Amino acid sequence: MQLKVNDESHEVAVDAERTLLSVLRHELKLTGTKYGCGEGNCGACTVLIDGEASRSCITPVTSASGRDITTVEGLADGDHLHPLQEAFIEHTAFQCAYCTSGFVISSAALLTRNPNPDDEQIKAALSGHICRCGAYLRILKAVKSMSDQGSTE
Amino acid sequence: MSRHVVEPTIAVKVIGPPRWTPEPDPRVPHGDPTTLLTMDDRGLVTAFSGKVEYGQGIRNGFTISIADELDVSVNSVKIILGDTAQVPPDRGTTGSASTRTVGIQLRRAAATARQGLIDLASSRLEIDAGSLSTKDGAVVSEDGSASISFPDLLRDQSLTLEIPDEVTLKDIDEFRLIGRPSLRIDAIARVTGEAKYAQDIVVPGMLHGKILRPPSYGATLQQIDTARAERIAGVVSIVQEGDFIGVIAEREDIAEYAIETIRARWEESRDTASDWNIPALLKERSGDTVTLREAGSTRLALESALHVFENTYYVPYVSNAQMEPSASVARWDDDQLTVWCANRGPFRERDSLAKRFGMARDNVRVIAAEIGGSFGTKTPTVSYEAARLAKVVDVPVRVAYSRAEEFGWSTVRPAATFELSSGVDNNGKLVAWDYAAFHAGENPLRGQRGADTPYDVVNVRINVAASESPLQAGSYRSLGGATNHFAREVHMDEIAVGMGLDPLEFRLNNLSHERLRGCLIAATDKFGWNSREKQAGTGYGMAIGYDAGSFTAQVVEVSVKNQEARVIRVVVGFDCGLVINPDGARNQIEGAIVMGMGTALWETVEFDGGRVLNDGFARYRVPRITDTPDIEVVFTGSHEVPSSGAGEPGIVPIAAAIANAVRDATGTPIDQLPIAPRL
Repeated sequence: MQLKVNDESHEVAVDAERTLLSVLRHELKLTGTKYGCGEGNCGACTVLIDGEASRSCITPVTSASGRDITTVEGLADGDHLHPLQEAFIEHTAFQCAYCTSGFVISSAALLTRNPNPDDEQIKAALSGHICRCGAYLRILKAVKSMSDQGSTE
Repeated sequence: MSRHVVEPTIAVKVIGPPRWTPEPDPRVPHGDPTTLLTMDDRGLVTAFSGKVEYGQGIRNGFTISIADELDVSVNSVKIILGDTAQVPPDRGTTGSASTRTVGIQLRRAAATARQGLIDLASSRLEIDAGSLSTKDGAVVSEDGSASISFPDLLRDQSLTLEIPDEVTLKDIDEFRLIGRPSLRIDAIARVTGEAKYAQDIVVPGMLHGKILRPPSYGATLQQIDTARAERIAGVVSIVQEGDFIGVIAEREDIAEYAIETIRARWEESRDTASDWNIPALLKERSGDTVTLREAGSTRLALESALHVFENTYYVPYVSNAQMEPSASVARWDDDQLTVWCANRGPFRERDSLAKRFGMARDNVRVIAAEIGGSFGTKTPTVSYEAARLAKVVDVPVRVAYSRAEEFGWSTVRPAATFELSSGVDNNGKLVAWDYAAFHAGENPLRGQRGADTPYDVVNVRINVAASESPLQAGSYRSLGGATNHFAREVHMDEIAVGMGLDPLEFRLNNLSHERLRGCLIAATDKFGWNSREKQAGTGYGMAIGYDAGSFTAQVVEVSVKNQEARVIRVVVGFDCGLVINPDGARNQIEGAIVMGMGTALWETVEFDGGRVLNDGFARYRVPRITDTPDIEVVFTGSHEVPSSGAGEPGIVPIAAAIANAVRDATGTPIDQLPIAPRL
């Protein structure tokens, strides 16, 4: 089966019932996408599928075939970090950072469909994610700083 | 044409005990001298610590301290953490002690290296050492006429320096980095997905293991049929050693599937403990009581007190539920075992593995990966399970827990029941304080943290007992600190309400502890306590706390509508002495408050007879971004006071402050957690 991940095509021979997460992590060694709960409840496994934030832990790999998949490894442009990654660093929007790739991916999807989200829209878009270190205020500020009216307060 | 590559060589080695405290502490020996810091002939500094990074930012804190003491850039400092073959022995990254004891020793090591460099320059430049100082990676003379870079000084050197008893550390005004907001040095790897957590470790040739879990704690295996699992393509081995059943397969999903096909009959424990009856059971099943402090006579004082308050409090088991479920890879090379895992005590893990396999501890190497959250736990058995399986097949084996395994088989914060009686005179002064705590778990030390009262009271008795635990009680941010604080600070508000006193006034009237008073006054001032507006559905509450050498006060606004409580605002006064990295400390405090808010409002491990019932995030509610209050932190500590912990103290008063605010809003006393089901 063909998987297009971060603009690269991969031919993978995998069982149809495997999850996209399992194939990304174990076959393609893209371990930036994390396993957190396996039930779609925590958001750690979020990737973009055709630009939409999707839970890879409950996505059968077959349903992702032929579509554009972006993982956290594909966000930066060479040595240039994605502006959201810069913003997360700037605001230290993490501690252990295990959840970070999921938050960054969902925020990227949000900003694509709404370049100017307010606090409530950001919170709604990220409410499916868990950060157990509790860096939420910083995550909110980091994403807010990217919106057109870019306020860090 | 080939280019000859010259490897850098170690030019300076600084040795000393891995820990240091201003006053010798017989309970925490400093340890035998080992290499703490090296400089190579290109000026690159490497420091070694047995501490591990699990999001609290110690790598950053250590780097900044060393860069400042040595006058080098942060880019030329490298910190090696948690590899038992490379770093000095350490008791584990607990008790918010990293900065206090190890961080300061690394600063002392850096200062020793700096002095060594000045001495070298002194003889090289023939200038008195007293007229030399360091700047930007070079030794410079006071008049600016002479300068020599560290690499120039270090070429062809091979020095070993021992940290002397007296080391002159830099003065606060000389710091360039300490005390200023600083970015995470390892931040880029964390936002790009490069950082390798235990779940991400790949060892060449490794297979995947899964363990068959009993239905409940204490269940014993009666019968088993693995025939179907054996026939699954990709299953390499099925291991059965007594009740320990594991499948080793080429892939994780195959191992998972194979485990599901195993038929097993278990005899479950007949224990009737559940989250319904545990509050009373904790007292019934408690062991010997330890009296932490007794002064005067609480009995006589309570008999003669004008106002007596008595109540029982309960705090349930809660799950650490860190984002990264436990994982470990184990590899045997003949009789040598190497384990990659996310363990906050790599040396303890090494010793425990050596003991379990009956081998010399030098034959076990534990390498700490990045840790995706801990708060005190990573399942203690995961490395042992991986090593057991790896030994059978003699190839590296990875064991990674599912979320349900993590909820069901990791350790939980001990539940605790408290009985409190206090007496107060007509002036609102405490005259008696009789405190009895019953903490689940065999380790009586866990329940002692935070049990004593910081308030002034002459007749006082603090009793703590450990109680038989139906679940696997383990460590959690501040151990018993947060639970003990809940009982004490909620009781303080009950007295204030009962006496018709303002909770702030009542506390200050019974509190002479200067640092706590400083926190409380700063937090209530910033909050605007005295100008707060009473509205329907809004409540205000406060609590103070102490932990890990630090002090804090927290003031909270909640709104309660339609039986739902929301925390709107939290103002924190915080005194941890000198703040090395204010942004890092603030991040820790905010995180502790968010975490503690979960324990206050929703979190409880539901269980019945050793079976954990809510083993997923769908039934175990944790705080989300939509729940997060505004948090303001005021640092009140003195720069003159050595740094103390910042990772844990933030959590100790928050649940009580929220409970007090909910009571203020609703009039309903909150003497048990979590709050949500009681509204």
